[in-house]
Amino acid sequence: MPGRSERADCYNELPFLTAVRIRVLKMTPARFVPALWIGSVAVMLAIASQAFAAAPVLDAMRQELDRSFQVLSKQPTPAYFLSYEVIEERVTVVQASFGAVTATSTIENRTLDIDLRVGDHNLDNTHPLRERFGFIRPSPIATPIADLDALRSTLWFQTDRKYKDAVEQLTKVKTDVQVKVQEEDQAPDFSAEEPETFMGDLVSLEVDRPGWVAKLKRYSAPFASSDSIYSNQATLGFAVTTRWYVNSEGAAIRTAEPRTRLSVFAMTKAEDGMELPRFESFFAFDPNDLPGDDTVLETVKQMVSDLDALRMAPVADPYTGPAILSGRASGVFFHEILGHRVEGHRQRSDQDAQTFKEMLGESVLPETFSVVFDPTRKRVGATDLSGAYAFDNQGVRARRVEVIADGVLREFLMSRTPIPGFSRSNGHGRKQPGFAPVSRQSNLLVEVAEPLSGEALKQMLLSRLEEEGKEYGLYFEDVQGGFTFTSRGIPNAFNVMPVMVYRIYTDGREELVRGVDLIGTPLTTFSKIAAGSDEIGVFNGTCGAESGGVPVSAVSPSVLVSQIEVQRKEKSQDRLPLLPAPAAPAAVPSSIQAWEGDSIR
Amino acid sequence: MRRASILVHGFLLAATLPAALAQESVLMRALRDELARSMEKLQLAESEKPYFISYSVRDSSRVQVTAALGAVISRREGPQRLLSVEVRVGAPDFDNTNFLGEPDFRSALARASFPTPLPLEDDYGELRRKIWLATDNSYKQALDHLAKKRAALQNQTRVEEVPDFSAAEPYRSDGDVGSPELDGSLVEELARDVSGVFRDTPHIFVSEVRATSLFETISYVNSEGTSFVRESPLVSVRITAGTQAEDGTPLEDAITTYARSARVLPPKSELSEIARGLASRLQELRDAEVVDRFNGPVLFEGQAAAELVRRVLVPRLLAARVPVAGSSRFSRVLDDAANPFQDKLGARVLPRFLSVVDDPTLDQFDSTPLMGGYAVDDEGIQTRETALVERGILKALLATRNPVPDIPESTGNRRGSGPAPSNLVVVSRNGLEADELRAELLSLVNERELEYGIIVRRIGGSLGRIARSRGSGGSRRSRGGTQIGAVVAYKVFPDGREELIRQSALMGISESNFRDIVAASDAATVHTRTHSPPRGFSSFGPLPGFGGSPLISLVVPSLLFEDITVRRSPDNIPHPPVVSHPLAVE
Repeated sequence: MPGRSERADCYNELPFLTAVRIRVLKMTPARFVPALWIGSVAVMLAIASQAFAAAPVLDAMRQELDRSFQVLSKQPTPAYFLSYEVIEERVTVVQASFGAVTATSTIENRTLDIDLRVGDHNLDNTHPLRERFGFIRPSPIATPIADLDALRSTLWFQTDRKYKDAVEQLTKVKTDVQVKVQEEDQAPDFSAEEPETFMGDLVSLEVDRPGWVAKLKRYSAPFASSDSIYSNQATLGFAVTTRWYVNSEGAAIRTAEPRTRLSVFAMTKAEDGMELPRFESFFAFDPNDLPGDDTVLETVKQMVSDLDALRMAPVADPYTGPAILSGRASGVFFHEILGHRVEGHRQRSDQDAQTFKEMLGESVLPETFSVVFDPTRKRVGATDLSGAYAFDNQGVRARRVEVIADGVLREFLMSRTPIPGFSRSNGHGRKQPGFAPVSRQSNLLVEVAEPLSGEALKQMLLSRLEEEGKEYGLYFEDVQGGFTFTSRGIPNAFNVMPVMVYRIYTDGREELVRGVDLIGTPLTTFSKIAAGSDEIGVFNGTCGAESGGVPVSAVSPSVLVSQIEVQRKEKSQDRLPLLPAPAAPAAVPSSIQAWEGDSIR
Repeated sequence: MRRASILVHGFLLAATLPAALAQESVLMRALRDELARSMEKLQLAESEKPYFISYSVRDSSRVQVTAALGAVISRREGPQRLLSVEVRVGAPDFDNTNFLGEPDFRSALARASFPTPLPLEDDYGELRRKIWLATDNSYKQALDHLAKKRAALQNQTRVEEVPDFSAAEPYRSDGDVGSPELDGSLVEELARDVSGVFRDTPHIFVSEVRATSLFETISYVNSEGTSFVRESPLVSVRITAGTQAEDGTPLEDAITTYARSARVLPPKSELSEIARGLASRLQELRDAEVVDRFNGPVLFEGQAAAELVRRVLVPRLLAARVPVAGSSRFSRVLDDAANPFQDKLGARVLPRFLSVVDDPTLDQFDSTPLMGGYAVDDEGIQTRETALVERGILKALLATRNPVPDIPESTGNRRGSGPAPSNLVVVSRNGLEADELRAELLSLVNERELEYGIIVRRIGGSLGRIARSRGSGGSRRSRGGTQIGAVVAYKVFPDGREELIRQSALMGISESNFRDIVAASDAATVHTRTHSPPRGFSSFGPLPGFGGSPLISLVVPSLLFEDITVRRSPDNIPHPPVVSHPLAVE
C-alpha cells in the first residue's frame, strides 16, 4: 500500500441521501470511511449583549471543568488544557420526489466534544505520529443538557476517559519523537490565546413543516413531466444549532444559529449510460429569507430543459486550452487549488506536500487578484454565506484573513496549532461534532482589482483562441463540487466536476457538451489565471476533510484561465431502463363503481 | 332473458371484485400492476426473463427518545417507506441467488442491494415510477449475478446439487390495516422519567434509557400469487447502566422490555423498578468476590438458561446455505458459514428429556406474552409449528425458501435477511421442582468433592460504555467455543449458603455442552430479545437485511450442566476514575 493521501472534497450537497448525508473525509487509494455529516459550526445570528449573563449550562460546564481540571492538573502526568464544547442540533428534513413526499423527519441531538491535553504547549498528546496510517472516526458523546446534574455526570465520566486516552497517547508521542529522525518543523503543538466570553441569544425559530411539504411537492412536480428523468429530490434541511464552549483558560461562549438549505436535484441518463445530474441549492440562515416560489420554479423549469439538452449534448473530448469559469465554478476551483493548500496545519505535516510553505511573500497570482477568507462576512448581495461564524470550535474569535493580497501570499488559515512564523490562531479551527478541529476554510472571497465586464472577458477568450489557433474554448457554467489531494504520497491534482460546460467557438457560438472533468495541478494552474470579471457567483456548500464536514462558501467573479485541461468523466456502464415508464394510472376504481351501480338497477 | 343474465353477471362481479379490490391499498395496486407488467415484458435482448419477482414494502413510523438522568439526549421521529425487490432469473434449480461475487460499488446495479425509498403518500403514478426503476435495476443485477455464477462453476463439478429456490403454495391474506398509534410525548416521558431513577445512584457511572415506539407494516406481493399485509407494532424500553468496582473492573448491563403497544407495556413504576434493580445489582457486584477458576456443575436459572440457549444453541438451529464463491478470496470466509448441525440431522444433540419446538402461532406462555409470533413470514409462507429436537434427537432446522441439503422446504422462518426463530420453546419431560434441581446440583458438588457449585442467574448485555476493549461482557468466539461475560453468578455451598461472584466469564461453551445437560426444571422462563444473525454469512438471498433484527421469544427451563468452566474474565481492567463523581461529593 502506497502512502496515505489527504483528499479533501467539497460538494454542494450529496443528493442521493435524505436525512443523513455521507461524505468522504479521507481516502487512501483502497478504502474510505464515510462519516455522518451533521453540520457543526455555529454563527452568531443575533448579536446579544456581551455581558456574561446567567447561563446555567455554561455555569455547570465551568463548574465541572474546574473541578476535574484541578485534580487532573495535579496528576503525575498533569493535564495542562481542558475544553468542553456541547452542541445541540434540532434538525427538520422534508423531501419530495416528482411531486410526492418521500421523507419528513425531525431529529434532536446533543453531543459533547472534549479537548484534553497533557504534556505542555510545545509537545502534547495531540502531536501527530509520523508515518501512521489510519482513519479518524467521529466520536461524538451523547450528552444530556436539560438537567445540569445529568450534564455534570456525563462531563465527569467522559473527561476521565479522555484523560486516560491522553496519557496513553503522550507516551506514544514521546516515543515517536525519540525514535524517528528530527522533524523538519519544530513548531509547538498548541498556541496561547486570549480567553473570550460571549453570550449569544438562543434561537427559537421553527420551520413551517406542512407549508414546506406543499412547497416541495410543487418544486419537484415539474420533473414528472419528463419520462427520461430517473431521479429527483427537492429537499429542505432546517437546523438550529446551539453551542456552549468553556475551557480551562477561562473562555465561556454561547452561540446559536439557524441554517436552512433548499436543494433540488434531478438526474437523467444519456443513451450511452452516462448519468447526467443537475443540482441547485439555496441557502439562508432564516428560512424566510429563501427565494420565493417564482424564483425556485423558474430554476426548476431551467433544470428540466437543461437535462433535456444535456441528454442530447455531444460528449466532449479531452482538451487543453483557454476557458472561462463562471463565478460559482471559479469559487470551487479556488477552494480546491488554493483553499486547501493554505490550511495552516498542512504546512506542518511531513506527509503533506506543503505547496505554499516556502512561498510566503511571493507572487502566486496576477497582482489584480486578492483572496480573503472572511467568516465575519454574513452575506454578499442578497445571498447569505454559509461559511460565516463568530467563534471557531476552539473558542477563538473569527477573523478576516487576507491570504493573498495583490497577488502575493501573505498568510495561512490558522487553528490553535502553530506553524513556524505563525504562532497564533486566526479563528479557523473548525470541525464537525465528534472530530478534533484543524484549520479549515470559511467564506472564500476572490476579489479582482480591475474587473472586466462579462462580455470583455469573453472577447479576451476569443482573441486568445485566435492567437493559439484553437477551434474552440470552454465555458464552465455550473459545477457540482470538486476534490483535491494534498499529500506527498500521491500527485497533487485537483478535480472540479462541472455539470454545465459549453464550447465557445471562435465565432462566439456556444454549444453545450457533457462528460468531462476539469483537472490540473495547483502551481501550473495558478500561473494560468489571467483575468476576472465583475460578475460575482456564490457557492454555498459543505467541505469534507479530516475534521469532518463544515459549512463553507466560495465567492468569486468569473475568471479567464489561459490554459485548463479536461479529462473524460467516469461513466456508468448501465443501460437505460428496459421498459418505458409506467403509463398513467388507468381508471380502475371508477369502473368498479359503475359496475356496482349497474347491478343495483 | 338478456337483462337477467346481465344482472346475474353484474351481481357476481359486485360480490367478488369490489370485496377483493376495495380493500386493496393504492400501494398494493401499484405493486401488483408493476409486477404483472415486469413478469410479462421485462427482458433484456436475448437474455432470460425473470421467473420470479417479489416486492416487499416496509412502512414504518418511529419515535425514539434517548435520555440520561432525567434529561433527553436525542430524539428522532419520522416515517419511512422502503421497497425491496427480489428478481430471480434462471430456474428454481439454478438461479442468480446463492452467489457471493466481488462487490461492484461503481455500478448503479449495486443499488439493487439496498432498499429504495418510496413516496410516503399513496400517489399511484409516483409509486409505479419508483417500483419500475427498482425492478429494472434488480433484473439487470440478477442477470449479472447469474452469468458470473455460471462462470465460477464452469470448471467445477458440483458435489451437492441443491436447488436455489424451494416451491411454495400461494398464500393470500389482505390483513387488517390499522394506523400507527405513536405517542411521542409518552415515549419521551418514559425515557426521561425512567432514566431519572439513576439520579439517586451515584455509584452508577453511566446510564441511559432509550424508549422507542415503532409501527411497521409489511406489504408483500410475488409473481406466484402470494400477497399479504402484516403489521407489527412494537414499544420497547432499553435501560443500560455501567459502573466500575473499586479495582476498576467494568460492570455493565442492559435490560430491554418489549410490548405490542404502550397500553400493555409495564407501567412506568414497574420499569423504574427494573432500573433500580439493575442499579442495585451492579452495586452488589462492585463488592462481590472474584473466582479465579472453577470447573464443575453449573445451574443456569431463568433468564440465564434462556440467554445461553439463544447465544449458543439457536445459531445451530438455523439452516445456513453456503453460497457459490465468485472468487477464491471468499472461499475461506464461506467455510465458516456452514452450520455443523446440518450433518447432525437424526443425531442426538440434547439429553433425551429435552425437546425443542419453534412455534410462531403462540402468543403467550402461562399468560406471559410471547413476542416472536407472526401469521406469515417474510416470503409469504404461512406459519406452522416446527419440531426441531424431539427427545434429544435433531429433527429439523429452521429454514427459508433457500434450501440446504436435506431441508428442501421452508419452515416459514424467513425473518429479515435469513432464517430466524419465532417463539422457541424448550420442553423438558419430567422436569424437576426448583429445590430438587438445586439438590441435584449439590449432589454433583459432593460427588466431585468440590467446595461449591455455581448458579448463574443472569447473562447480561453490555454496550461497552465502560470497558474500552471490545466485546467484554458480550459473547466472543474463542478456541473451542464461545466466551460469555457479564454473568451474574453465585457460589452455592453444600450448606445452602450463597455468595455472589463478580467478573466471571463462562469459557469455551459450545453446542456440544448441551448434550450433557443433567437435569432441567419443570417451570420455564420467557425471555424476549432481538435475534442477531449468526456470524459469517447466513443468507445471500437478494432481499437485503430487511426489517432489521426480528424479535424472538424463548421459553426455556432452568438447565443443570455437569461441567462448565467459570473463571475471572481474562480482559484487562481499566483504572477507576481519577476524579470523584460530581454528585457523590456534594
